[in-house]
Amino acid sequence: MESAHPARGAFDRMTALFWRRPKLLTALLIAPPLLWLGVVYVGSLAALLLQSFYSIDEFSGIVVPEFTLKTYAELLIPSNYDVIVRTVTMAAAVTLASVAIAFPVAFFAARHAKGRWKAVFYLGVMLPLWSSYLVKVYAWKLILAKEGIITWAAEGIGAGNVLGAVLAIPVIGGNSLSTSYIGTFLVFVYVWLPYMILPMQASLERVPTSMLEASADLGARGWRTFRSVILPLALPGVIAGSIFTFSLTLGDYIIPQIIGSSRFFIGQAVYSLQGTAGNIPLAAAFAVVPIVIMLVYLAVARKMGAFDAL
Amino acid sequence: MTAAVEFLNVSRHFGTVRAVDRVDLSIAEGSFFAMLGPSGSGKTTCLRLISGFEKPTAGTIRIFGEDMGEVPPNRRHVNTVFQDYALFPHMNVRDNVAYGLMVRGVDRRSRRDKAEEMLSLVKLDGFGDRKPAQLSGGQRQRVALARALVNEPRVLLLDEPLGALDLKLREAMQDELKALQRRLGITFVFVTHDQGEALSMADRVAVFNEGRIAQVGTPSEVYDRPATRFVADFVGSSNVLPPDLTRSFGGPECWASLRPEAIRFAPAAEARATGRVSALRYLGSGTRVALEAGGQEIAVLVPAGNPLPAVGDRAGLTWDSDALHLMEGA
Repeated sequence: MESAHPARGAFDRMTALFWRRPKLLTALLIAPPLLWLGVVYVGSLAALLLQSFYSIDEFSGIVVPEFTLKTYAELLIPSNYDVIVRTVTMAAAVTLASVAIAFPVAFFAARHAKGRWKAVFYLGVMLPLWSSYLVKVYAWKLILAKEGIITWAAEGIGAGNVLGAVLAIPVIGGNSLSTSYIGTFLVFVYVWLPYMILPMQASLERVPTSMLEASADLGARGWRTFRSVILPLALPGVIAGSIFTFSLTLGDYIIPQIIGSSRFFIGQAVYSLQGTAGNIPLAAAFAVVPIVIMLVYLAVARKMGAFDAL
Repeated sequence: MTAAVEFLNVSRHFGTVRAVDRVDLSIAEGSFFAMLGPSGSGKTTCLRLISGFEKPTAGTIRIFGEDMGEVPPNRRHVNTVFQDYALFPHMNVRDNVAYGLMVRGVDRRSRRDKAEEMLSLVKLDGFGDRKPAQLSGGQRQRVALARALVNEPRVLLLDEPLGALDLKLREAMQDELKALQRRLGITFVFVTHDQGEALSMADRVAVFNEGRIAQVGTPSEVYDRPATRFVADFVGSSNVLPPDLTRSFGGPECWASLRPEAIRFAPAAEARATGRVSALRYLGSGTRVALEAGGQEIAVLVPAGNPLPAVGDRAGLTWDSDALHLMEGA
């Protein structure tokens, strides 16, 4: 009697080939994404980095393809530097606010919501992501406008002067919410919040209940357990979420254009520099700023032990 | 003397499930107490009622005479060794052990000294700087022990303390836990589904079944004189005889327990009963012979080195007359 079935066609022979050479299958599977990441993605990043070391000829407006740090020096001109400070401050504020708002939501979803409520949670968090970003931003413009529902509601409950006082705060205030930094901030927080909640919820879900019980068992009150056990264990999720909120805010050029004072953010600066101004090197240098900030941020987070619990 | 832990008619219901059903229990101070039962029998819930992670639906729990009704877990003089150890993965071993002291605001230096002392108590000197992930299962369990003992609890609770360890380590830890309890002199309450573990470590054993305590007693009481059919079967897999079989085996008409190791093979003339051998199971230290007698399976434990019958043989059985334990209340 035969001890093996004969091969039945090409697929059988292919299966046999992959069985004999398992690395061949891995190579075939990994090649397309590797090409995409390596060439298209990392390649364009390298091109970007290269461009940022070029400069523009002030008279002809032509890019001079020679290595120089002149373009980076231009970032330190007050008008450019302001753009960076403004953007980083906004990104940090948006991230902190997202952490503060997302944590209770994520905590509830991870530790208390079961079955149907969990589904409701996911739907509630994901639903805003299904509608167009532009639609949401314009909707917020209407909500925040001087004639919008917030002003109307504030006046209706007799809090019109409170709103007036908030808008009278220098720098972050303005003529109306939709033309102030407060408005920009609110819309950023709204739009990026799901990206903070989801990773946070995933990391909180991985903290076993017995660990919280152990903390209480050893005498800890709620706040101590939160600080010494929950927060450190959830930190990888918080960092993951903050990478989203921070870097998305750093790079966004549509929200500050539609809502807020018309002062530039990094994204808008890049957009206008590579467009009408044709200053590709400076646009590239601006684009490198968020990348460097994120690298520094991750290095600091790592140093502080944010990934120890991974 | 006040009991270390006392349950007065305690129930804990989850919806319609009665996890713990009208339990009365008293655990003496300084004893090594086992809660034994199959999964879902309510033993773990009882442990969590003592630690405070569950609140009774009805009844009163006292610890050293004090009603625990309104006392949260962090204020009870009770500490727990969790089944999965629940060590904090982001802290090193020393910080894990010192956690209870940090919470109470003990200064860093005393914390360190005390943690090292506890680590040496559980024979883990020099492991303070490691992370829990770098330890073996047995070492992690010792850390969990040290962490629970650092607050000097009056009652130590252990939830399936040896469940995750392999056999050899389990046996060594049994002796060690027992020695530790004697040395510290505090009350240990542990939950287990392993009857061997309960019998070998505990001073007293409570056998749980379906949310109720079937029997409380010393290990030998529970083993030799089981109060119910359940206890007889669960602790040491005894032969549980229905009333008619007890009678044909020479007893009165009531349920009885007959330990497999109490039965011997005998010539037909001297036999108290006969049966047909249906299966043999080799155990190393002996062989478990299953026989068909009076319409029921009877197990006989034959120590190694004795002659064995073959499957299908008819065999006579005998036992000492006091081996037949009657269970009137069953």
